[in-house]
Amino acid sequence: MVHSNTLLKDIKKIFEPLHFVSKNVAFILIAFQSFLVLLFWQIGGDVLIPTPLKVLDGLGKIVSSYNFYDNFFSSLLLTLEGMGISIIIALIISYLSLIPFFNPIARFIIKCRYLTLTGLIFLFTLLTQNGHQLKISLLIFGIVPFFVTSLLSIIDSIHREEYDLCKTLRMNNWQTLLEVVVIGRLDQVFEVMRQNFAIAWMMITMVEGLNMSEGGLGTMLIKSNKYIDLSTVFGVLVIIFIVGIVFDFLLGQLRYWLFPYTKLNMRK
Amino acid sequence: MYKKENLILKAEHVHIQYDEKVILRDVNFDIHNITKPDIAQGQVISLIGRSGIGKTQLFRILAGLLKPTSGAVKIDVDQHLVQPGEVGIVPQNYVLFNHRTVMENLKIGFRNCVDNNSEKQKEEIIHEYSINFDLKDHLKKFPMQLSGGQRQRVSIIQQVLTGNKFILLDEPFSGLDILMVDKVVKLLLKVSTLNEMNTLIIVSHDVENSIAISDTIFILAREEGKEGATITEKIDLMEMDLAWDLDIRKKPRFQELVDNIKHKI
Repeated sequence: MVHSNTLLKDIKKIFEPLHFVSKNVAFILIAFQSFLVLLFWQIGGDVLIPTPLKVLDGLGKIVSSYNFYDNFFSSLLLTLEGMGISIIIALIISYLSLIPFFNPIARFIIKCRYLTLTGLIFLFTLLTQNGHQLKISLLIFGIVPFFVTSLLSIIDSIHREEYDLCKTLRMNNWQTLLEVVVIGRLDQVFEVMRQNFAIAWMMITMVEGLNMSEGGLGTMLIKSNKYIDLSTVFGVLVIIFIVGIVFDFLLGQLRYWLFPYTKLNMRK
Repeated sequence: MYKKENLILKAEHVHIQYDEKVILRDVNFDIHNITKPDIAQGQVISLIGRSGIGKTQLFRILAGLLKPTSGAVKIDVDQHLVQPGEVGIVPQNYVLFNHRTVMENLKIGFRNCVDNNSEKQKEEIIHEYSINFDLKDHLKKFPMQLSGGQRQRVSIIQQVLTGNKFILLDEPFSGLDILMVDKVVKLLLKVSTLNEMNTLIIVSHDVENSIAISDTIFILAREEGKEGATITEKIDLMEMDLAWDLDIRKKPRFQELVDNIKHKI
């Protein structure tokens, strides 16, 4: 009786706001909810989308197909290249925003979030020399405004007292910029990078559809969609989803390893 | 036996206002170097005022971080205008670089210091301070791993290491329990006697603890019918024989003075 009461209390707690659950409980919750989703999906049949077993079957065929790894690495390398260049551009713009002359440029770039890529494809096609350049340019144009927005929000939230401290420690403005904005916020830049990797990874299939000569997961998706090969479509989606989650996890772990103090401020 | 010597800090007609709202009006006070035979005796000054009276504005002006609308703050024997970096600050929430360990935070204090100590010498000095101020076991920790009192000590030592003789402390007793207050009082007295010229300026609304530690008190308050706060009174605790006495709280005159000041702010 006492045991069942404790169990009931524990179950009740997982529906309470701001209640912290242990790692084991969190794992059980994820596993249980994933199982339920897959179960209902399987029971629901393949009226609209293929059942998990058919997707799994499609996934096996994709992974064993001769051109899968070429397509997979083409997408991954394109994303990493696009991300790398975007990070460098966004960081330069964000740090320069603290110099009054460059601030309007940074403020304009964050407003470019509202520009649609579709309307600019023609312009980018004229400006670039090949399909790869076109894809990279679109990726950069798509990511940079979001990246700069997040970085400027980090910079804007720095408290005046931190700058005051630097002044009392006799740092000049450049040393203050380096200590407070660059080094002091590297962990947050890394977190922004992690979030923006998701945006880049999501955009990759879209830009790959514009130029299919280099292949890629996006190309695979479009071709499968064309032939209404839904088990392959969902198989590719599952791969994209898993790779995204794995990278998210790896970047998160890398952040804790590089900046151990970030873990100290987390809700436990 | 003590002697008041050179003028080392002077606030001259300091006035600050935003649009039509006057925050500080004609603030004037001066601090002299105090000397005592056979001891390095620094100064501990308290600026006491109610919350919201403009203490933080005065704090920033004294540190050279905020330019007053009119008037000036002059420091040192040559009485030059205060510049940022000449007066150390210990803000109420003890701001430190959270991405650096305690050791690295303290080393930053040395970074733009005039002394040309080698890396080894710097580390030796930091170790010495860490022993004296009970931080020896915390040098490898990050500020977020420290308690409020430990952060306060790191913040104070960081400013001492810059070589600044003036250190401003904003509400150093805020949120501390009675045992911690005693420790902070002893800590500040220790810092004040590290160097003959060390001058601690405490900006606080805590009358009792400010009196217990100071040699001079300035009251920051509003005068009737006038807008903006100003220095309304100077209380020389040395003349009253109430300075540098760790048992000051036991004296009847201390309690009288506390009540008296509480009525004036």
